[in-house]
This record gives sequence, structure tokens and C-alpha cells, in this order.
Amino acid sequence: MKCLPILFATAAVLTAALELPAQGRGRRGGRPGGDAQPPAAAEQKPDAAAETKPKKYTAIVGGDVYLGTGQRLSGATVLIADDKIDAVGHNLTLPEGTTVIDAAGKAVSPGFVAVAGYGMGSGRGAPPFGDSVNPFDPEIKQALAAGITAFLAGNAGGGNVPSGGNAVIKLAYGDVKGMLLREDSVVGLSVPLSLGDREKLEELVKKTKEYLVAVADFPKKKAADANAKEPQLPPGAEKIVAVLKGEARLWIQSGGSGFNPFGGGRRGGGSRGNDVDTIRQAMEVAKLFGVGVVLQKPTSAWLVPGEIAATGSMVVLSPRDRVPADPADPEKTGSNLASAAILAEAGVPVAVTCPVGMFGGAGVGTGGILGQDLNTPHIDAAFAVRGGLDNRKALRTLTLDAARILGVDARLGSLEPGKDADVLILSGDPLHYATFVTTALVNGKVVYEKGKEPLYRHIAR
Amino acid sequence: MSMQKKSLAILLALATASAALAQDGRPVAFVNARIVPITGDVIERGTLVVKNGKIEALGADVATPPGARVVDASGKTILPGLVSAVSRAGLAGGGPRVEESMGGGRRRGGMPMPMPGGGGGGTQNRPTAKVTDGLYAKQTVFVELLRQGVTTLALNPVGGAFPGLGALLRPDGKSVAELVANDSAFVQVTMVRDGGTKKLLKDNFDKAKKVVEDRKKPPEKPPQPAAAAAPAEAKPGDKPADKPPEAKEPPKGGEPPKPEPKPEPKPDQPPQGQGDKPQQPPQQKPPEPPKDPNIELLADLLEGKQRAIVQIDSAADLLHWQTVVADDVKFPRAVAVLRHDPLSGTVDQVIEPLKAWQCPVLLPLDLSTLPRSRYLIHPAKQLHDAGIEVGFVLGDNPQTLRFTMYRVMELVRHGLPQDVALRGLTLVPAKALGVDKKVGTLEVGKNADLLVFQGDPLAPTGQLDSVWLGGKEVPLQP
Repeated sequence: MKCLPILFATAAVLTAALELPAQGRGRRGGRPGGDAQPPAAAEQKPDAAAETKPKKYTAIVGGDVYLGTGQRLSGATVLIADDKIDAVGHNLTLPEGTTVIDAAGKAVSPGFVAVAGYGMGSGRGAPPFGDSVNPFDPEIKQALAAGITAFLAGNAGGGNVPSGGNAVIKLAYGDVKGMLLREDSVVGLSVPLSLGDREKLEELVKKTKEYLVAVADFPKKKAADANAKEPQLPPGAEKIVAVLKGEARLWIQSGGSGFNPFGGGRRGGGSRGNDVDTIRQAMEVAKLFGVGVVLQKPTSAWLVPGEIAATGSMVVLSPRDRVPADPADPEKTGSNLASAAILAEAGVPVAVTCPVGMFGGAGVGTGGILGQDLNTPHIDAAFAVRGGLDNRKALRTLTLDAARILGVDARLGSLEPGKDADVLILSGDPLHYATFVTTALVNGKVVYEKGKEPLYRHIAR
Repeated sequence: MSMQKKSLAILLALATASAALAQDGRPVAFVNARIVPITGDVIERGTLVVKNGKIEALGADVATPPGARVVDASGKTILPGLVSAVSRAGLAGGGPRVEESMGGGRRRGGMPMPMPGGGGGGTQNRPTAKVTDGLYAKQTVFVELLRQGVTTLALNPVGGAFPGLGALLRPDGKSVAELVANDSAFVQVTMVRDGGTKKLLKDNFDKAKKVVEDRKKPPEKPPQPAAAAAPAEAKPGDKPADKPPEAKEPPKGGEPPKPEPKPEPKPDQPPQGQGDKPQQPPQQKPPEPPKDPNIELLADLLEGKQRAIVQIDSAADLLHWQTVVADDVKFPRAVAVLRHDPLSGTVDQVIEPLKAWQCPVLLPLDLSTLPRSRYLIHPAKQLHDAGIEVGFVLGDNPQTLRFTMYRVMELVRHGLPQDVALRGLTLVPAKALGVDKKVGTLEVGKNADLLVFQGDPLAPTGQLDSVWLGGKEVPLQP
């Protein structure tokens, strides 16, 4: 109750702030007709395209709109043009022919992004993902019912050199092409590294950096000397290049057999429930690459939030994971329900996931009571709230910050003009245990309606 | 049981007698029969005359020809023989069930199991391979199917993409030569959701399209004197029409397997230039790449000279097909769905593209369920209601086939019109095989492939009384 006035204040401020993007309609370039001030030369083309194919507008009206960035607009409208968000705000003018979905009394939120998963239409779960996705997998409906609209499928890698074969899959039911967002968004590495492996990695990263510099200089060299040799990519450095160029996120997990494995829940948290040393090794890797990394379910991150924040790194947590503390040193060991809150306070982006499997494993289970258990992302985020995380920030752990952790925050994670129209309409507060997804849209299309699917339609909300 | 045996014994006696009679060339007249011709109204009480293996006449007031053997069919219903357009009976020496053997191993979610190059029997690129090359004649399965009413039987090659040419069989044949009615009845194309199959589909149809374009080009050379034609061809730039293909060719001169650079009408020129061409590829026309018979066959298909049975088992597979085979790739086809796959979407979820193809769709002879539920769904009715011609995949297991009419009854009970269901067992699969001029209905001049049922064929009390293939009664026991 205390936070309500604050929310309203925020909403008011935001409404004002949002006028701009709402009028500008799509500040991200590249969309036909999307730019407010397109260059004169480019003006004709989008116009022609717009003429040949009129946009299909959908508006979600009157809901409490959670933007995914941490803010909320009460009774606002989300306007969708084709598969993108066109505008969000109050008093929007709806174009003629707009399909209106009434969300009065309901919550509207960006689709949840699961930082890891399997099944859910990802086909074989191995590259090339686009060739085996199953857009009619019934698990897609189950995942949508849990609010998930995108997830990382496949292998996030690991081992002593960056590796992995994965893809961000969108749950675009019935649409083959709409399912694949990006392949190889994530590269995995395991720590701790042995001294030898570490030297090798350092050497390879150094060479790769030199290679990138050489590539940048090559046109100049070529102009001066026609016989200049094209720089050669060091063998085995493809993934490193991707990380250095910012095209892939580097995920770091514990090697498992190492000295101080990251929590891993039931494994007992390694050496006396403290993995700070391993986290520090991961931070060394971050410094080596010069980019923030993603820590996979560290147990002791709450002990060193500043060190993690200093490298620009991010953390995937399962707030429900419990690692018992060492009775001899209870202040510095074991997991902490407040981890997410402590890390968020220090400015570390956190994504939450459910407590099973490697790299999270947010697979939607068909176990539980009649395959309809409540093992859903919003419950995990709610545990973070219980640990002290601000309610509004907690939604970010499922939306914008999760999208950042997958490196796809330019397209997913928030309701902002230009982003993919992956939107949930929920029966109440997104993080309340009794809330159900009533409607889910992916790429602007309604792909789940609670009342029409046999999953939860018998439960009144 | 004993009753049945007795009646069978009597039938057998009759059958032997009638077979002998039919061979005499004596016409057979079924009188007082309820005749379901499939096309046209049911004749509640009429006569059907068979002569020389063909239907000579049928109708309510058709006279029995003199000297004909008369079969009293009071209380009986005559239907055309069943047409099984999808089967692999007798392949690999034992007639495994069609549902299991075709389309590949499957995992949860209906995913094709094998990795790249996968699909049951692996991804294949051999459209011209004949399935009959693997046929072993001395098997009882063919006649067992015949006894269950399958008078027209296809044989489909197995594997992803292009596993080969399917055949049409005469199920009473004793040797391969007798069995095979047509060893190139159709091109089998099998969609499997994997990179290998998708690439093959895309590449081969692209190449075939090019070949079709080349064939369409007017044969410019023959009308001109041969001497004049050769130099004109050798110098790019003389004719604007020749220019684009010529310009493309020289760099590719050394690669014979690529069929793309063959814009000229091939058969015309080879003898002239071949002596000097290899020496000076940059200026002269390179030797014609050898024609790929596989691509030529697919080009025939695109030109409508061949037909295809395209196996697509799920909605997901169909959408994947659309990502690699453009909608303008048109050819005579029937789509065959071998099993309902709720985990990858039953095909009633992709009615629009199916409708656009304007082809018969052969479905499993079953209802399906919503995924992970017990809610029954009726894909056949959905497709029929959408205006798609629906046929059925009967399978090639004689044991299962015994319950064909029971399964049809289920579909009819759940709302599929009875005439549509019966057409789906006969005329529609006949169309799929391109033999609807000969079989699939009871019409004058068509093959006398008949099923005589005691009572209503769909009722549990109805039963198959006798099977006639080409006017001859099939002995119902070995």
C-alpha cells in the first residue's frame, strides 16, 4: 500500500516522458516508415512499402501497463503495428481499423524471457535451429501460459574455451520464421580454469584482439600496399571474436569438478558453501575480455556485489535455490534469499530462473499435478521480492534484464516503441502467485488465450 | 467363427467356379444389388454387368445379358475396390507397418530423430530410383491386402526429400513382372524437418525450375543453318537475348556437375563445338554439363508430365516446406499424411496453404486429439469443410485393414459425410495415383474392381462378402 502513491507519481512523470516516443513512433531505425525524420533519399522506399502493405494495428487498451523497465502506466494503451510496438501511453490516437483488446482491470507486461530452456518448440535443440523448430509444439502453449514468450535454447557451452551452439527462440505459435530470433547469442565458458588453460585463453584473447585491430587497419594497409596480406583469424577464436565484438554474451558457469563450484543448489555449494574465489576468477575473465560476463547461479555473489558491478557483469539467479551455510562461518557462506536485492542495489542486472538444470533450465514441466504445476517464472521472481527486491525491479528480472543477459534487449524485454510486440495480458499483478496470463501476443499476434486453451480455462480469474 | 468358416468355404467353392467362368469371357451380372458408384447417386436396387474385366453396364433397369452368370446380390452393397495410395507392402522383405516404417523415427514433440541427412531411411536425393527395384514378389502380403479389399496398391519409396519413384501394383501378381503395373507411377517427395532435407528440396526444385525455363526457350538454333548458328553462339554480344546466360557461363566452365549454366537448348549443338571448346573456355561455349536425370525428372514434374505424392505429416512440417519451396513451384500432387501428429500440429491447423495447393490430401483413417488432451478433433472433417478433397491412407497392414470400415464409421459418426468418406477410400486416392480414369468408381468402362458387402458396409453387422479384381472373384482363402 505504501508504494501506491509512488507508483502513481511515477506513472504521471512517465506519461509525460512517454509523449515523445509515442509521437515519434518507433525511434529505432530500419523499420519501414518507422523513423520520425527519415533521410530524404530513404523517404520514398518506406512510403511505397507502406502503400503496398498497410500495417495491421492492434491496441491493448486500459490495462495497467508494466513497461518492463521498472515503470508502470495505469490505464494506458499499448499500440502494436504489425509485429512491433508502435507506441505506449495515454490518449493515443488509434489508426483506423485497429483491433482493440480490452485490458481494463488487467495488467499488461512484456513477455517473460527465460534465460534457458528446452523443448517448447525448439525442435532438436541444436543448430541449425531454424530448420527444426516446431511451431505447433503443445509445450509452446504451456510456456505461454506461464508467460514465457522467448527463451534460450540449446547449449550455452562451457569448457575451457568459449563454446556453445544456441539460439533465442520466440514462442511464435504457428509461425516457423517468427520463432528464431538469433542464433549463437550466448557463448559459454567454465571456471575455474587450470593455469595452463588460463594462459592459453589469455594468449588466444590477446591474439584475437590483435586480429581485430589488424582487420580494422586492413583497408588502409591495402590502399598503401596492394599485396598486403589479409589478417587471419587465429584458429578457434570465432566465439572470442563474437564476444569481443559484443555480438555474443559470455556466460560463465562453474566447471562442476572444480574446487569451488558455483552453487548448483543441491550440490551443497562446493567448498563450505562459498564460491567467492570462483566468482573472482570469472571477474578476471571479464577483465581479460574487457566485457561484462554473465555469472550462472553463483552462491556467494551477495558477498561481492561491488566486484561484480565493477566489471559490468550480470547474474542469473534462482532465488529458490538454497545452499546451507557452514555453521562455522554463517556470515560468509551459503545462499541468501536477499541475493537478488543486494545485487540489484549494487547495480548488477539480475535474471531469475527456476532451480533446475544446467544454466537455469527453465523448461516448462509437464510434471506436477496433471502437468499443471505452478513452476512458472513469476513465482521465482516473487521469491526475489520476498528477499527484499523492489517489486518493480523484480519484473525486470524476467523481462528487460533477462533480455540483456541474452544479448537481445534491443528487441525484447520492454514495451517500448520499435521493440518486438511480445506482450502479456495478465489477470493481476504479474508477480502475484494467483495471477494467470489471460492473453499472450508474440510478434503482434495473439498466440494464447486462457479461455480457449484446455490448460487453465477451468480456473476462474 | 464356425459359421464364418462355413460361409467362407462356400464362398471359396463359388469363387473357384466363378473364376473359371469369368475366364471364359462370360459376363457376370450382379442383380438386385445396392450399388454405390461413388460418383452419382446410390442405386438402391439395380444390376451391374461385368464383361472382359470391365464394367459393362450398371443401373436400376439394366437387363441381364444373355448367357451371363447371374449373382444374386439381394441385401448386398457393391462398392468399388479400395485404393491404397500409400504403402510399402513387401519392401524390405516383410511389409512392416506403414505408420512405423515411413517418415522416420520420431522423438517426443514429433521431431525427426536422425541428425542431418535424417528421416526414415535417411535423406535421399534419388528421385529417379525405382522402388520396384527393391521388390520381392513371393510374399503373401499383396494377396492378403487384396482379400481385405485393396484392389489398387501403390508402393512408396522410403526416405526424406526425394527417395525415388513410386509404383503401382497389381496385387494378384505372382512375379515382379506380374505385380508391377507401373514402375514410375509417381515421384515420392517426403518432407522431414531437418536442414538436409530442406536444402535438398530447395536446391532441386530451384534447379528443376531453371531446366523448365531452358526448355521453354524457343529453339533458336535449328531454324538457322548450322554453320551460322555456331559463331553466333560463340560470340557473346551478337544477340542481346544470348548475352546474360553467355556472360554467366565462362567462369563456371570447368564445373560440369552444376546444372545451372545450361541456358541453350542442349540437344542441338553439341557435335559442332565440342572439338575446340575445351581449349578456349573463356571465349567459347563450354561443353554442356551432363543432364542430371534427377533434375530432369523434377522438371517433368513441374511441367505436369509426372505427378508426385508429397508426404507431409504435420502442420509444422508443412510450414517448413513453405520456407524452402516457393508457392510458385506447382506440380500435380497429392499430400499424404501418414499419422496425426498433435505434437507438431495436425494438418487442419494449416488449412489455408493446403487449400492453395488445390490437391487431394490423404489423411490417416482416424480421429485425432488436441495435443496432450483427450479432446477429439476431426482433421478430415475440417479439411472437407474447407473445401479440400480428402482421401485416406489405408496403410499396408492386412490386420489393420480388416477394420477399415469400422474406422470409416467412426469418422462418419463424428460428422464426415458418408459419401465423402467412401470417396476418400476409392476415387480420391485413385486421383492421387493418377488412375482415376480406370478405377475408383463404378462407371461403365472402368475396371471391374468390386467389393461386395453383406449389409451396410459401415455398420458393425456389415461384412465384406467378396472381392472382384478385374472382373474375377478373388478367392478369400489361400
